[in-house]
Formats: sequence, structure tokens, C-alpha cells
Amino acid sequence: MTFRQFAFRNVTRNARLYTAYFLSSMFTVMVFFTFSIFAYHPLLSGERIQSSAALALAVSKWVIYIFSFFFVLYSMSAFLQSRKREFGLMMMHGMTVRQLRRMIFLENMIVGSGATLSGIGLGLIFAKGILLAGENVLALNEPLQFYLPFKAIVLTLFSFLLLFVLISLFISSVLRSGKLITLIKADRQPKPEPKASLLLSLLVVSLLGVSYFLSLRASGLNVVLLLVPVVIMVTIGTYLLFTQLSVYLIHKLKAREGLYWRRTNMLLFSDLSHRMKDNARAFFLVAIISTVSFSAIGALYGFQSMINGALTQKNPYLFTYQSADGDSNAQAHIQLIDESLGRAGISAEKTGLELNYYKAVDGRTMVLVKQSDYNRLAALMELKSIRLAAGKAAIVDFGLSRKGEELLNQPVELQPGVVIEADQAVVSWAIRGVSGYYVVPDEWIGTLGQPLKVSRYYAWHGATGQPGVKKAGEKLTNELPYDEQYTFYALEYLTSKTNEGFGPVMFIGFFVGIVFFVSAGSFLYFRLYSDLDEDKHKFKAISKLGLSDKELGRILNRQLSLLFFAPIVVALVHGAVALTALSHMFQYSIFRESLLVLGLFFFIQVIYFFIVRLFYTRQIRSALAG
Amino acid sequence: MLEVQQVSKIYEGNVTYRALTNIDLTIADGEFVGIMGPSGSGKTTLLNMIATVDAPTTGSILIGGKDIGKLDNHELAVFRRRELGFVFQDFNLLNTLTVEENIVLPLTLDGTRISEMKQKSREIAGKLGISSIMKKRTYEISGGQAQRTAIARAMIHSPKLLLADEPTGNLDSGAARDVMDLLETINRQQATTMMLVTHDALAASYCHRVVFIKDGRFYTEIHRGDNRQSFFQKIMDTLSLLGGYNHDVPPVRIP
Repeated sequence: MTFRQFAFRNVTRNARLYTAYFLSSMFTVMVFFTFSIFAYHPLLSGERIQSSAALALAVSKWVIYIFSFFFVLYSMSAFLQSRKREFGLMMMHGMTVRQLRRMIFLENMIVGSGATLSGIGLGLIFAKGILLAGENVLALNEPLQFYLPFKAIVLTLFSFLLLFVLISLFISSVLRSGKLITLIKADRQPKPEPKASLLLSLLVVSLLGVSYFLSLRASGLNVVLLLVPVVIMVTIGTYLLFTQLSVYLIHKLKAREGLYWRRTNMLLFSDLSHRMKDNARAFFLVAIISTVSFSAIGALYGFQSMINGALTQKNPYLFTYQSADGDSNAQAHIQLIDESLGRAGISAEKTGLELNYYKAVDGRTMVLVKQSDYNRLAALMELKSIRLAAGKAAIVDFGLSRKGEELLNQPVELQPGVVIEADQAVVSWAIRGVSGYYVVPDEWIGTLGQPLKVSRYYAWHGATGQPGVKKAGEKLTNELPYDEQYTFYALEYLTSKTNEGFGPVMFIGFFVGIVFFVSAGSFLYFRLYSDLDEDKHKFKAISKLGLSDKELGRILNRQLSLLFFAPIVVALVHGAVALTALSHMFQYSIFRESLLVLGLFFFIQVIYFFIVRLFYTRQIRSALAG
Repeated sequence: MLEVQQVSKIYEGNVTYRALTNIDLTIADGEFVGIMGPSGSGKTTLLNMIATVDAPTTGSILIGGKDIGKLDNHELAVFRRRELGFVFQDFNLLNTLTVEENIVLPLTLDGTRISEMKQKSREIAGKLGISSIMKKRTYEISGGQAQRTAIARAMIHSPKLLLADEPTGNLDSGAARDVMDLLETINRQQATTMMLVTHDALAASYCHRVVFIKDGRFYTEIHRGDNRQSFFQKIMDTLSLLGGYNHDVPPVRIP
């Protein structure tokens, strides 16, 4: 046995410990590789189409890379912690510190290069399938041919080998061997419990409480402003939740002997507080990573359904055309649209109204719409019609901006002596793309004199999904290119364009989210298995005192569920709050989507829990039997 | 071979604890010495310091004329793998390695040639009667076999000093006797200096000399004459005088 073989055997025969870490590293490499395959695809990498998608892929590729850097670093240092005794033993047999470092370096490189190579291999095997899937999500017109992704292979291979080399070097150089005697006794030394302070525990409640309150109350674009402070507060709050509040609660529980001394509770609680220091860090990481993953995937799925749902259902104008005052071609354009629709056999009802622009005394431009005009459109779209109180107007906005609420109950002097005040704010999609206009009684318009300008708005209302609508939209959009004089909007064509643009984001976000979730699982697995030997030892001792099989099962069950669900439940709550805030921001309920995403993740976690429990319980039982 | 000069050990910590006080011990080349004493008397602390695992607070330890306190970490590691061998109560075999790989570990660390490792491990396994289990993993063998493996690992590099900490502690009486016979044979045939820490009077009776310590201080020492049986009886008597074991000692009969 040479030294290299020795390191190799340490890894291969410790498979149980390394499996989860290896698999999630491999998965990360695979996703990185997949993104590279896309990014370097001859069809995508050129100047031609979807260069923004290629850019997004490239950026998120490096996000994954940076994440995996920290993931590998954390896992590796945790592995070393759990192997202290083994190292002590080796040093007793004359291993020098330099040799220990070399061994750790070799071991890491074996796992790392294994993960890199198999990640690339797996990526290659699935490459064709992934390209096919990519073709659909990216909504490409040309098929993505399979190609030998030479560049992608080289890039992945080099970047990950470099990553593993750097981390291995770093870890092995900072490894402090310490005193031999402490290494050998490492696993017999109980780690001190973290101290819990009441003040910090209360801080948790206030930090999370304030963050939740702000997120749930925030509306509109405030959400964006609040994002950074809330994220910081939630992160600190979550950290303190696991390092302070939970410790504090366990102490309180332990103080209540009526509960603590009841049956197996004592074992569970004492074990919890004994491991709190290790657990707290892992719980925090898992909770934060899972929150990111849940929020990202939930938000993306929400956006997706919002684009398809909100825009098509709540805005069922197939086409709109808005002309400015001096648009001399308006009539010709309207005719062109009408003809195109007729030719394509699209049934649509044309309607229109006038937007009257006035300059207020304070210099602001105001848009006024006749009540009857508005209600006609609203009726067509089956929206609520507006009833005005005598002498008052209504302010309408299109969603997203909160202009309506800002202007509510604010009298504006339109002309000397003429004051307009809105006593109701309405969010409505009746007039597309116009926000913050006043709906006023019809007779007002006549009395106000010549408006600054008049814009004509035409809308073609009809059922969505008619054949040929998209095509006609595309054709018309090309024939009526962007011009200051008018705006033409073809709903179905633009929605499909948006979807195409959104496809890659969805695709990338999904993979990144999954990478995060998988690594969170790996953290949990590792946390559990680094305690396995200690648990075996402990349960062996307890079973000698008389512990029934059923009781053992119950203790393990509780211990594992806590490990698996405490961080995930926190992440689910964080995620739910984040998604609620998001839906407030867009004034669009993504409740169903959030529930689906969060529920799915929870379900996967439950399955993962059952699988791990099965193996863990089996391990402990066999240790008791043996 | 081994000289322990005025060694004291004080553990600083929450409770300062004086584990050893002014211990002097000399072991000659080829000698087989046992260290006995009640629990907490400092036996293992002494062994750990001789094993270079722990450092004395005051005093010095010389092995083969070298002051081990003056070696740096690297020199200590090399010193351990060339000159020392260890046998523990709980065997301390590495679970990731097979029996054979465990045995050659000190040679592996020293960068010995494969052929030499093969030959040496075959030789020693033959002597210790574990040739048939060389390819097995550590969880597939019995306690006696595990301790033989540990002894083989401690012996393969022909150390100058072999240190054993309760080598029979986890073994049944038959296996314990085998292990002690083995150690005695190695001591006789290869003239390896040995130091044994034990609770077990039977195991101690294989030594040439047994040193007793109590509460961290030297208590007494007795030498083996020609008769192991009477040496065993003397050890039992001393133990009962020490006060730590009178409960498990039969009534003393002085011949």
C-alpha cells in the first residue's frame, strides 16, 4: 500500500460519509456543464438570436460556481472536524503534519475530480435530452443540434479542478493539527453549548416580526426598496433564531422537569442541547439556502403564470392602437388593421375612445376620459363600470404603479376656477398601458375648452387563442414599426415574445434553485452522519439500561424530523412571506403557484426524510444488535 | 533505553489537577516492564508522555538517549513511526483499511518500497498467526484477531520501544493469554523493549518487573524471579496493599 493508495482507500471505503457530498458536487458540476453546453452552442453563442439568454446562462453559471465554492469549503471543513480522532491515530503512528496535509489534499482531489468527471459524463449523456428540452423552453425556431461541446468540457473541467485544488490547498494549509492528545480525545470532549441570551432571543422575534410585517404590508414598488434591508434582517434573524432563541427555548424546556423528565423527552432534549452548536450552523445554512431556492422557483413560476394569466385573461384586447394628435396615418393604419383581421378571419369587436390631455395650473399634464367612454370599454371587458359622485372624478391606474392612490382626494386645479378631485381610486385594465387618468362626467369635457392634445385609442376585443392572431400580430407589428406618433400593441404576439424571453430565465432559475435545494439536502445528510458514531455509542449505552425497540424508533424519529423539518419549515415560512410580498407588488395573486411550489418542496423533503430515516434507523439497530 | 527523569504533569483547566509528581523510571534495553496502579493513578498519563502524545509539565524523557521534549513536530512524527510501536485497549485499527493495510501503515507513512512492505507483513503475519485474515476488513475479525493485528502493526517496523495500554482489556481470558504469550515471545526473540500499562495482574505477571504508582507518585516495584506463579501472587499482594483492589483479591497467603 503506497501513500496514494492509502488516501484513495480512505475515500472509497468511507463511501457512506462521502456519498451525499459527492452526489451534490456532481450535480452542481452537471448543471454548470449543461449551462456551458447552451452558452457555447453555435446557434446561441453567435450574435444572432437570444444573446441575452446566453448571457444569462453565462452569469448564472458563475453564480453556481461561486456557490459551489462555499459549499465545498464548508463540507470539507466539516468532514475534517468529524475525522479528528482518525487523524490523531494516524499521527500516533508517525504521520507528519505535512503528510496529513498531503493526505487531505489527495482525498479532496479524488472526490473532487471524481465529481467533476462524472458530472461532465452525466451531462454528456443527458446532453441531447437537455438540448431538446432547452429548445422548447427557449422557444427556438431552429432545432438545437447535438454537438460535441468541446469548449464546455474544457471549461467545466478546468474551472472545477481549479476549484477543488484551491480549496484542498486552502483547507490543508489552514489545518491546525493542534495537540495530539486533544485530537485523540476529540470525540469524547463534549462541545460547549452556545450561550443563549434573552436579549438576543427577543431580538430574533423583533427582527423577524418587523421583516414579516414590512414585507406583508409593503405594496407596489416599495417591495423593491425594502428588499435589501429585509433580506439582511431576515438573515440575521434566522441565524439568531437557531443560535439563540432555540437554545433559549431548550433551556426553558429543560428547566420544566414535568416535561423534561417525562419518558424519552430527556434523551431528546439533552441531545439537542448537546449538539446545538453544530446543528445551529447547519440549520442556518439549510434554512437560508432553501429560502433562496423556494423564493426563486416560486417567484419564477409566479411570473410565468402572471404573464400568461394576467395579460391574457385580464387584458383581452387582441390589439390596441393609440394615436397621438397629429398622426396623419391613423385612418390608414386602422384600416390596415381591420383588413388584416378580416383576411385572417379573426373575429374582434372594435371600440375606441379619446384621451384628453390638459395642462393643469401647476404645470402637470392630466389625462381625462369621459365616463361613458370608460364604461363602454369596461362593459366590453366585463369589468365593473365606474359611477361618479356628483362633482367628483375617479382616478384609474393600470396596476404596478400606485399613482391612483397618490392622487386620491387631492384636488387639482385644472384651469383657474376648475378643480378636479378624485374620490375613488380604481385599478383597472380597461385602457391598456395608460396609468393615472381621471374618469370624469361626459359634460365636463365640453366645458373645459380645447385640450392640450387628444389621443385616440382603439381596441379590438375578441377571444384569445384564435388561430392566426399571433401571426397577424407579428405581421402588423412589422408593418407598424415603432413611431412617436402612435403605438400598436398585439397582445398574443407580444405575450409569446415575452414567454420566449422568459423561458431561459425560468430554465436557469429552475436549475439554480434545484442546485441550492440539493446542496441543502447534502448539508443535512452530512450533519446527520457525522453524529452517527456518537449516536451508535449512545444508544448502545441506553439500550443496556432498557430501551424498547419502539422507544428507540420514537426517539430517532423525533430527532430526525427535527433535523429535517426545523430548517425547512423556517424556509417555507420565509418563502411564503417573500412570495406574498411579491404578489402584492404585482397586484396579482400567486397563491396557487406558491402553494404548489412550496408544497412540492415539502413533499420532496418528506420523501427524503423517510429514505434517510430508513437507513439511519437500520444503521443504529444493527449497531445495537452487533 | 528509556529514562524518565523527575517528570510531573499538571493539567490546567477549570480544575487544576496534578496527575504525576516527580516520577523517575529507567528501562533497560530488552526489558519488559509493567506499570500498575489503581484507576486514576496516572498510568496512562505516563504512557502518553512516553508515547510523545502528551508533554510533561516538568522533567524530561529520554528514549535511546534522545530527549523527546526537544524534538519538533516533524521529528516527533518520524521518531514515532521509526522507533515506537503502540498497542491499545480498543485496538484503534482504521476501519477504512484491511488488516494487511493496517499492519503496513507505519511503513507506508515512511515511504517504504511495496515489495519490502509485502515481505515484512507476510513475515509478521506468519509469526502472529493472522495470515488467513489479511484481506479482511476490521469489522470482520474477532477481538483477539484485532489485537494481534494491532501488535503486528506496532511491530512491523521493528521499533526500539513497544508501548501497550491495557492490551488485554477488551479480550476474553483465552485471547488475553495468547496476546501476552505473543508479547513475551517477541520480547524474548527480538529483544524489543516493552512497556505495558495494565490493570490485569495476570498480564502484568509476564513482565520482568512491575512498577506501581499511586496518586501520581512512585509507590514500589517488584521483580520477577524464576517463577511466574509466585510473581503473580506477589503482584496480587502488592495490589491489595495498594488498597485499590482488595475487594477482588483472595485472602492473602504469604508462602
